[in-house]
Amino acid sequence: MRLLNPVRGGISALLLVLASAAYGNAYEAPLPVKLSTDPDLCAYVPCGDVIAGADSFSERKGKPAYVEAYRSKNGDHGEIGDHEKNGDSQEKGSHHGEDDERELIGYVFLSTDIVDIPAYSGKPVVTLIGMDTKGIITGAKVLRHSEPILLLGIPEGELTKFIKQYVGKFVGDKIEIGMPREGQSYIGLDAITGATVTVVAQNQVMMRCGVQIARQVGILKPTIRPQAKFTELAKLSTWDDLVAEGGVQRLLVKREDVGLDATGTPYLDLWFGYLNQPTLGRAILGKSNYESLMARLKPDEHAIFIIRTGGGESFKGSGFVRGGIYDRIQVAQEMDTFTFRDLDYLNLYGIEVAGAPDFNESAIFIIRSKSFSAAYPWKLVFLANKMDKTTGHRTFTSFDAESWLPDAYLQGGRPVIIVPDPTWLHIWKDKTLGIVAFTALLLLIGTVYAKRDWLVRRCTRKNKHWVDSFKYFGWIASIGFVGFAMMAQPSITQVLTWFHALLFHWEWELFLTDPFIFIFWWFIIITVFIWGRGLFCGWLCPFGSLSELLYKIGGWVGLKRFQFLLPERIHHKLKWLKYAIFYGLLTVSFFSMGLAEKLAEVEPFKTTFLVGMFNRAWPYTLFVAALLGLSIFTERPFCKYLCPLGAALAIPTTFRWFGLKRKPACTTCSACAKGCGSLAINPKGEIDQRECMLCLDCMVMYYDEHACPPLSQERKRRERAGLPLTPVGADGHYIPIMPLPAEEKR
Amino acid sequence: MSSDNTPKIDTPPDLERRKFLNTAAAVGVAGTFLSAGLVGCKKEGASTASDASAHGAAGGAHEVAPGTLDSYYGLWSGGHTGDVRVLGLPSGREIHRIPVFNPDALVGWGITNESKAIMGTKADGSLKYHVADTHHVHGSYKDGTYDGKYAWVNDKINCRIARMRLDTFECDKITEIPNIQGFHGIFPDKRDPVDQSINYTTRVFCGAEFAAPLPNDGHDMENPEKYHALFSCVDAETMEVRWQVEIHGNCDLTASSYDGKLAATNQYNTEGGIKYVDMMSAEKDACLFFNIARIEQAVKDGKFKHYGDSKVPVVDGTPDANKDPKTALTAYVPVPKNPHGVNASPDGKYFICAGKLSPTGTIIDLSLVLKWFDGELKNINEVVVAEVELGLGPLHTAFDGRGNAYTTLFLDSQVVKWNLEDAIKFYKGDKNAKYVVDRIDVQYQPGHLNASMSETMQADGKWLAVGCKFSKDRFLPVGPLHPENEQLIDISGDKMVLASEHPVRPEPHDFIIVKRDLLKPRQVYNLDEFPNAVKDPKDAGVFRNGNKVTVKITSMAPAFSLSDFKVKVGDEVTIILTNLDKVEDLTHGFAIEKYNINFIVNPQETKSVTFKAEKPGVYWCYCSHFCHALHLEMRSRMFVEA
Repeated sequence: MRLLNPVRGGISALLLVLASAAYGNAYEAPLPVKLSTDPDLCAYVPCGDVIAGADSFSERKGKPAYVEAYRSKNGDHGEIGDHEKNGDSQEKGSHHGEDDERELIGYVFLSTDIVDIPAYSGKPVVTLIGMDTKGIITGAKVLRHSEPILLLGIPEGELTKFIKQYVGKFVGDKIEIGMPREGQSYIGLDAITGATVTVVAQNQVMMRCGVQIARQVGILKPTIRPQAKFTELAKLSTWDDLVAEGGVQRLLVKREDVGLDATGTPYLDLWFGYLNQPTLGRAILGKSNYESLMARLKPDEHAIFIIRTGGGESFKGSGFVRGGIYDRIQVAQEMDTFTFRDLDYLNLYGIEVAGAPDFNESAIFIIRSKSFSAAYPWKLVFLANKMDKTTGHRTFTSFDAESWLPDAYLQGGRPVIIVPDPTWLHIWKDKTLGIVAFTALLLLIGTVYAKRDWLVRRCTRKNKHWVDSFKYFGWIASIGFVGFAMMAQPSITQVLTWFHALLFHWEWELFLTDPFIFIFWWFIIITVFIWGRGLFCGWLCPFGSLSELLYKIGGWVGLKRFQFLLPERIHHKLKWLKYAIFYGLLTVSFFSMGLAEKLAEVEPFKTTFLVGMFNRAWPYTLFVAALLGLSIFTERPFCKYLCPLGAALAIPTTFRWFGLKRKPACTTCSACAKGCGSLAINPKGEIDQRECMLCLDCMVMYYDEHACPPLSQERKRRERAGLPLTPVGADGHYIPIMPLPAEEKR
Repeated sequence: MSSDNTPKIDTPPDLERRKFLNTAAAVGVAGTFLSAGLVGCKKEGASTASDASAHGAAGGAHEVAPGTLDSYYGLWSGGHTGDVRVLGLPSGREIHRIPVFNPDALVGWGITNESKAIMGTKADGSLKYHVADTHHVHGSYKDGTYDGKYAWVNDKINCRIARMRLDTFECDKITEIPNIQGFHGIFPDKRDPVDQSINYTTRVFCGAEFAAPLPNDGHDMENPEKYHALFSCVDAETMEVRWQVEIHGNCDLTASSYDGKLAATNQYNTEGGIKYVDMMSAEKDACLFFNIARIEQAVKDGKFKHYGDSKVPVVDGTPDANKDPKTALTAYVPVPKNPHGVNASPDGKYFICAGKLSPTGTIIDLSLVLKWFDGELKNINEVVVAEVELGLGPLHTAFDGRGNAYTTLFLDSQVVKWNLEDAIKFYKGDKNAKYVVDRIDVQYQPGHLNASMSETMQADGKWLAVGCKFSKDRFLPVGPLHPENEQLIDISGDKMVLASEHPVRPEPHDFIIVKRDLLKPRQVYNLDEFPNAVKDPKDAGVFRNGNKVTVKITSMAPAFSLSDFKVKVGDEVTIILTNLDKVEDLTHGFAIEKYNINFIVNPQETKSVTFKAEKPGVYWCYCSHFCHALHLEMRSRMFVEA
């Protein structure tokens, strides 16, 4: 059996991979290596698919990059592939006029050229987007995604369907997921049920990309922000003062952030600030250099400075040498992005203010735009490539740090701005009712279990409804409400994700985007350490509940005689299988999260709750049907032998604070073991807390004068001796009859 | 950025090595220069041909790591290469050469119509002059320091002054000064003598070293006593000559006061000699002061004449016409024998004249000169507040802003550091005043020297550059012609420390060292600055007017807008080329095979050339300035039809 385990695991993995190959064609689809760098974008991707009628495309232009889509006027497609060589429209003298034979009908852009918004997987959904010259989306195509739910849960077609909703919509409109409620004015899109995080991220991708390109090509008018009015402070500052009050900000990028080995030195350590503010500008540049710089600036021009105090990477790069554009540094203010040309750069020779750190790269950059205002917060953005250590692939990523002039530097202080809710908060607000109900459920079950002593004392082996009514309520709520309605079935993939997040990069936002899972996990973590995993597994896990409920129903409908438990000999070997699965998944996840997530399909949860048994390919449905079918005849077969989540929770359960009660006689009597559906009580009467589902059957027995053999014997002894039956104490025995001392009797 | 740190100086110059007996050797070296005047007038010896190892290891602060920038710009005259060079200091790296008076094939200076118009042409369109000798470079001032707007340089051979814009580092105007020869010293003024609100440069003073008959039309050629020199004032903006002063003797170097009231020139040949022996016969020559306000008032009052066909007013500054100090335009302050160099101290108080043939330095108190002009002094010699011995062959003086002067000793091959106030005390009779602070050997025979920001009120005493006129054995031999040796001395400490040396192509004379943040160079041009710009590739083409043909072309990497153009033999062809590339540093060249034409166009710049199409056939035109991966493919063809 031990030898067979890996073989079986391997076969199921293979099946799943095959299945995924058939159902997820953009999942982790390999992209051409030069896709993100080659000037000729459309040589690598089907640009024509996202803008109908285009028959030729320019090379990448602009910052961020896009390509222009053309339609030949005579309909001749002979020019396809005749892309210009240098991104400019200059052609040789004798070839004039060719420009006029085709017309510009729109733009095509690649999402990862423009934004770096990770979806649920932490990786971006690489999307090719088409837009016409009026800013209407003409098409979008997902080239690659890494979303596990779309691989094994929801058909990828759902994402395609979701993205289709953008076609015909204007990029300047406010588009959000879900139908607008009263008082909200946005265009609502249908979400993909069960993939909220993915679609919320994808919505940001679509809108931000569209707006950025529409701004750049002049479809959208720039936002004009009211300009800051500065105060002049007479005080002398030191560098530390400037940092403390926020006039100077830091942008630190660690080596591990870009996929390099940590060496203790940063990848890049930048300090930056806004120079037009006179107090700040004079402190940084010195009086005469400040005045000379201001004399060079026209109205609506803004200077910022950047110095590099650590790290070997240049923030200037070398892109500006050839193309004239600094491709590593941007300034962003809300949806506006300001990039710098070589002509926007000035040497920064030194920093005047006392205590300034040594630096080895420096710059003054000039923002030339009415859209920028120092009265409002802005961000310095560093654009980088992150390297995937295993594949060597580089992906676009960005780092930013916010700067906002302190109150004292602005006349009247900082203006009041309404910061839109972050995505996660938006979701929480949207689901408040569900969250309250769910939290109430968890608190109820927690309280009930905390009061278990009170409950079990009211039960007998024959009549356990004091416990069962709460437990069955928990099961039904978790199956119907938590599982099917809220889709909050916890999964081993979350554990794997956390392992990685803890080790590499913890992002609260990612976890907060699913409030039910978030709250559930806090509940699970707390209760595992207090009482063990059984409260979750035995009372609240949707699939576990479903499984055991089927078993109970099976019993009630008269199948009891067919119900069985595996012989202990086999059970005690087979129960280790789930640990093997868990460790296997964890190990695989370090090599390939994608593969680990595919293999995590050993959990039937997605099929059962997230997608529905009838929406899956037959192997999945069969798997779930088999497990549930088996559950009718044997208690919780999946939980006992396969569940990697249970295994993962069983391990910390070793350290739970409050166990179940035992009495000394338990070591020789194993009566309750007979009734233990989890087979968690061994012949010595010890409860294996890792296997225990906290069904409380043994606790009912513990106090049951007629069922617990030691207690029953004591009852009989007392009855024979004519002694009174005192109440049963916390130790599971009658409270001893202690003759009162004689003097007191008197 | 870190170059402001100065090294600790712990290697004192080895004064013990200096031996009296070496005087003879030095005299031998300088023999032709000085055979009679020097012998016996000097106790202290000249240097051995010492090596710099005693100092050479010092510091390292002059080293500028790759990727970091120098702290100073150096503007170096090129001498008879006719150009001006831009160096980064303290590294000494040459960053740029500005062609000024002489043609330059790289940029097309003297080839393009635009540069020819600045340089001056004969009636047939060819250049008027092909040679020049640049000596002194000085920048424009505001508030007593450089404003980064202009720099000027003289041409000693053809008596021209050129102005360079310091935003583009290009020469934009050249003026030929009438009725002078041997145009040597120049210096911009620092503020207006009368209107104190004009706190910036509006004039450039120019000294003429060689006297000649006025006008120089063939009369009195054999009568040197009828020769005269003129001191000229050129308007800083228009570059026209405002006025000239006829003087006795000659003008060598020039200086201007920080208050704008005075200019001065040192005179080494008050004798009016023709041969050197005659030129050093008198014991005293002069430092000649000009009272600017009075000169301009005289011009305003019509007290001037003209020489020849020059329209420039010439006032009389000769001693005979200026005997009454209260009305004098000029003051001849006697200083010892054949002085060379007059330099203004950064505190605005003094002018220092170096003795050259006298081993002395003379300190002239400007407040006393003004008093003399007011008639408050009995004797003009009272303006001299010190005349102290410095060493053999003192030539030029620089300052550190801490009260010290640094004077080159040509014959001693040394720089001497001396304290001005101590020198004044010593001259007054305090024999305990030790005014010489330090000496350092340089290799060899230094001429000009200058310190960082020395010619401004912001003299910062960090670096001292010394232009050694002889390099001899200091560099790999390259045949009989040797480079000059520009040495850099760290003067931030008490002792001077030789930091580095660089060979330079002969022969820079003077230079200035300007803090980098005072200059604001442009990155690219603006299309609109060029009236003939071809602003759109669609405007390109061939336009004929009789046998005059204009070819308009634009360039944008990697192509010229015309892949070919046709002209006829005998046509006068003008090619106008606009570089439409906007990327900084994306310069294109335009060379025509067999037609002796090359020039460059910087981003957004327009230039033109005119030539006669004489040879029929196909002539490739190509981009001669590397621009693009397809640079070699960037070509056009000129078809010259027979």
